Amino acid sequence: MSTRLKTTLLTCLVWLAQSGIADAHIVSARLGDFYAGALHPLLTLQDVLTWAALGLLAGSLGAASGRWLVLVFPLGLCAGLTLAVSAGVAPTSPLVDALSILMLGLLLASALRIPVMLVCFIAFAIGMMRGAVNAGELTPQMDRFLYGAGLACAGYVVITLVMALTLTVRRPETAPISSWRGIAVRAVGGWVAAIGLMMAGLSLAP
Amino acid sequence: MSLRALLFVLLALAAPLLPRPVAAHQATLGVLEFREMRPGAYIGRWTTLPKDSENRIELKMPAHCFLRLPELNCGDKGLVGQMTIANLGEDMSAAIIRVTSLDGKTNSYTISAANPVVTVLGTGAPTLETWLELGKTYVNLGIDHILLGADHLLFVLGLIWIVQGGWRLFKTITAFTVGHSASLAATAFGWIGVPEAPLNACIALSIVFVGVEIIKQQRGEIGLTARYPWAVAFSFGLVHGIGFASALAGLGLERRILPAALLFFNVGVEIGQILFVALVLALIWAHRRLGAVMPRWGVELPAYAIGSVSMFWFLGRLARVLVAV
Amino acid sequence: MIGRKILQTVASAALLSALSASPLLAHEQAGVGGGLASGLLHPLTGLDHLVAMVAVGIWGAQLGGVAIWVLPVVFPLVMAFGAVLGILKIGLPVPELVIALSALVLGLAVALRIRVPFAAAAAIVAIFAVFHGHAHGAELPSSANPLAYGCGFVVATGLLHACGITIGALARWPGGERIIRGVGAAIAALGGYFLVASLGVTA
Repeated sequence: MSTRLKTTLLTCLVWLAQSGIADAHIVSARLGDFYAGALHPLLTLQDVLTWAALGLLAGSLGAASGRWLVLVFPLGLCAGLTLAVSAGVAPTSPLVDALSILMLGLLLASALRIPVMLVCFIAFAIGMMRGAVNAGELTPQMDRFLYGAGLACAGYVVITLVMALTLTVRRPETAPISSWRGIAVRAVGGWVAAIGLMMAGLSLAP
Repeated sequence: MSLRALLFVLLALAAPLLPRPVAAHQATLGVLEFREMRPGAYIGRWTTLPKDSENRIELKMPAHCFLRLPELNCGDKGLVGQMTIANLGEDMSAAIIRVTSLDGKTNSYTISAANPVVTVLGTGAPTLETWLELGKTYVNLGIDHILLGADHLLFVLGLIWIVQGGWRLFKTITAFTVGHSASLAATAFGWIGVPEAPLNACIALSIVFVGVEIIKQQRGEIGLTARYPWAVAFSFGLVHGIGFASALAGLGLERRILPAALLFFNVGVEIGQILFVALVLALIWAHRRLGAVMPRWGVELPAYAIGSVSMFWFLGRLARVLVAV
Repeated sequence: MIGRKILQTVASAALLSALSASPLLAHEQAGVGGGLASGLLHPLTGLDHLVAMVAVGIWGAQLGGVAIWVLPVVFPLVMAFGAVLGILKIGLPVPELVIALSALVLGLAVALRIRVPFAAAAAIVAIFAVFHGHAHGAELPSSANPLAYGCGFVVATGLLHACGITIGALARWPGGERIIRGVGAAIAALGGYFLVASLGVTA
């Protein structure tokens, strides 16, 4: 099986998985809080966009820095959730969300070589932010542990798959950044940054 | 625990695989009766109802029906579609809806907190619409059941871990599917009856077995699962299938829709299982691609985690069996 | 003919993604489906915007070299900048005129294969992009989910741009060059028509 075919298949499966789970009325059951935690971010455009952008950024930097995010990002989500639940931190303003998306997009589009530590820091910070926002959906009768586990699992799955797919798309790693695969990834970065910029404008709108 | 001892315990627990009616519920039952007075119009009342629950219970009839107890009017279509009773509460374990049609035939439907929905077929021949409705309900139920069954998923994860992938994995998963479909059908039709508590203990033990097999494989031994993965998958599939049937057992299905419901439920279970396997394989691929693998000291960690979790389940479930005895 | 085909392709792609995305997302967030759809459709509904976006793509492909990869990366960003100006109600002089002029200028550049230094081309495209983005931002429906609208808008613009680059790539085949010039001439003609129309309005 060729790599491209594999990638396509994988993408299809992920898509299928999402739509299939969304159909099932799973959230009402006992273990449902796990799926509530996993599905809420996947059904929220803000989360999908931010997570995918982070995955693209880390993936475009190569496997060596990307692999740390497999752990760091879910941990960040958990930390943010815990902090928000225990300290009652208010969710971030839409402007901060917009600026974080803009920053991720610009980093991706500029194709800078970012050191591993900085990538990990960014991933943890974004995880904290999104985790805190997702805590808003946590009602008192829900099992916090299950909800957090679901959230972390969703974060792990999304970030790992997106990084691996990005890595596969812009292979070979030795190819110059101006090859069309590299350009495609950077163009997506430009789009993400543009979306972030528009969001920032809209949140400032009178 | 040696492998032989483990198998012995497993067999001992599987021994009461003899026909036996499902144990009656201890807590109080609510009974709601509907009697058809004119075609499509019913008079309904609670004949048995635990105290103080009338205001709390949320009774929902198919969308084309008008309900204000004691009156229920469904028009020309008749009482066809989904009935739901939500919010049963703690003092009522289940409710029975008994519908007596004009020709004097009575059908009963059981509703529990875990399965608050029943599907009612009209007295006439089922239409395409009813089949679609039925299919949707039971496929969803099957998907829910497998995705919420952490023990089933953990077992499948263990199988993937041992068999690694490729053609062999396909055969193994197929064997597991054939196994659980067969025993699911046998249980649903009442050919075999198994008390729930020992069965659940058995299921937990099957996962312990897989965990042990993974460790063995990592130490270079060739275990039973590595040699005959399909045989192991098939026989444990039989055990897990009886577990799936417990979800259907509480629904009080009509005899004539049972085969179809069973088929749709099984399809749902397979969809859920395929999604899970696909997700795990995708993640394995992603980890290889990223080179994100366990450090040398942690290689055995996942297998031990699987083993410990399932052993914990096993002990808890065993305790429940012993308490019941 | 080709323009129509592109229009169909883009519209169907946009519709498809809107259809596949909206039920999933609409489940949780109110207004996301509508926001996505209106964001996607907005750049496609105005013919003056649509042809200008495609022309930018073709011209970028014609210029080649650095332009072919700088434009897709930076262009949406500049558009978004213009949109922010529009959202914040910061006025720009004679917007209709400049937008009509952009189709004319870009169409002529494609039809006549005008080769200018990259910096000059980038400046021209950037100015036009700010004006187009401004027009879209100013007309933003207030009820839409902002993020969804932004996503739809950027994706539609990017796809139009990609269409233009694809047409530009036709130059590799014999006869492709003639088709490209034809498309450019058609765009320029449309731009001329819009220019006259807007002058008629302002006068």
